[in-house]
Amino acid sequence: MAADPSSVGASPARDAAQPVVTIQGLRKRFGEMEVLRGIDLQVQAGEVVALIGRSGSGKSTLLRCINGLETPQEGDLRVEGRRLEPDNPQAMRALRQRVGMIFQSFNLFPHLTVGRNVLLAPGLVKGLRGAAADDRARQLLARVGLADKFDARPDQLSGGQQQRVAIARALAMDPAVLLCDEITSALDPELVGEVLKVVEALAEEGMTLLMVTHEMQFARRVADRVLFMHAGRIHEQGPPQQLFEQPRTPELQQFLSALG
Amino acid sequence: MVDFTLWDIVRNLLLAARWTVALSLIAFVGGGLVGLLLLVARVGRWPGAAGLVAGYVQLFQGTPLLMQLFLAYFGLPLLGVQISPWTAAALALTLYASAFLTEIWRGCVEAIPKGQWEAAQSLALSFGEQMRHVIGPQALRIAVAPTVGFLVQVVKGTALASVIGFIELTKAGTMIANATFAPFTVYACVALMYFLLCFPISAWSRRLERRLSLGR
Repeated sequence: MAADPSSVGASPARDAAQPVVTIQGLRKRFGEMEVLRGIDLQVQAGEVVALIGRSGSGKSTLLRCINGLETPQEGDLRVEGRRLEPDNPQAMRALRQRVGMIFQSFNLFPHLTVGRNVLLAPGLVKGLRGAAADDRARQLLARVGLADKFDARPDQLSGGQQQRVAIARALAMDPAVLLCDEITSALDPELVGEVLKVVEALAEEGMTLLMVTHEMQFARRVADRVLFMHAGRIHEQGPPQQLFEQPRTPELQQFLSALG
Repeated sequence: MVDFTLWDIVRNLLLAARWTVALSLIAFVGGGLVGLLLLVARVGRWPGAAGLVAGYVQLFQGTPLLMQLFLAYFGLPLLGVQISPWTAAALALTLYASAFLTEIWRGCVEAIPKGQWEAAQSLALSFGEQMRHVIGPQALRIAVAPTVGFLVQVVKGTALASVIGFIELTKAGTMIANATFAPFTVYACVALMYFLLCFPISAWSRRLERRLSLGR
């Protein structure tokens, strides 16, 4: 499996001036339903952006457009300057190597051990195999606090542990941005903390994060910027302090007060 | 009148049973290969493949295997293709098996949660890698039982090839019954041989299924 030469080693044009994610006029319809109605967004390297809003406001869809799991009908989406081209498998492969995604339902590969879950994609896509790759996988698992689970099977782990493996798996591809789609929503309350702690550590280490979340306290503490989505648009955005304490639009005020 | 011992009957049936085994293997391997190709075309969303494969499956599932054998044996000569009973039987059974197998396997692939595809896609795996390393191994696990179950159907289905004159176990049984005037003994032996072919396959399928489900 030949690795894409453009994505091995240093990423192209990763200067500070260039945003990691650039979105312009993004529109997405499911049949008659327009879920995204013109999204403009730039995410800078190292920025932590939280997406909040009611279910159906389009926040998950927006996230899923960024790595091409959904195909937008209109607009321009770039990751590190690389255009999203859903019909071009080569381009998608290059883009997806720079975009990690973590799902609500973990989606670990149940037929592979934890270690193999982490090693699979780097081995296939980047040709990283052998002892060095193993060491790196162990390091990543140690980073999420699961150094001893290398040979475990996913179904032997708790939900929180599985989600942390999913984070290690995404990090193994060395992404420029990590998309987190309600990653604690499927967890028992007592397991939420361990996952959020890992994400918070990533944020502190300078990882670019885009996360859809219902954990408002967490968003407030960790995010640099909060986007409130409503009816397929970014309705209001700003630093968490400002957004949570002085919401300007009635929709956001209502959303926040409904949370209690 | 010639006397036939039981051994004469069994020996001749065993010789003919080789052709039942050979025909089953050809149908299964050929049907498996064609079925896999159709599966990849369908799951990989090749343009137009979904409709064509669905039509193909409906065609073979909606007509009796007997008619498919007749059409292959009597139809191809009309098109100027001379065909032996052996080739006609192998061809018809291969197409028949491919239609059923591709449908069985599609169900198994569709039983894999969408999140598995999405996780594999997010990790930049190509379609081939997704199939081979993520979806395939999981689908294989649930495919074992129905696939081997269908293999048993194919073994028994080869009996129909006797009607176009292909001498396999059933046809040999008919001929021997006519010669020995002992139809009950002969057909009992024939049935026993089908059972001895099919039972180990079913038993193997159960064992395989248990092992694969323990391995997860």
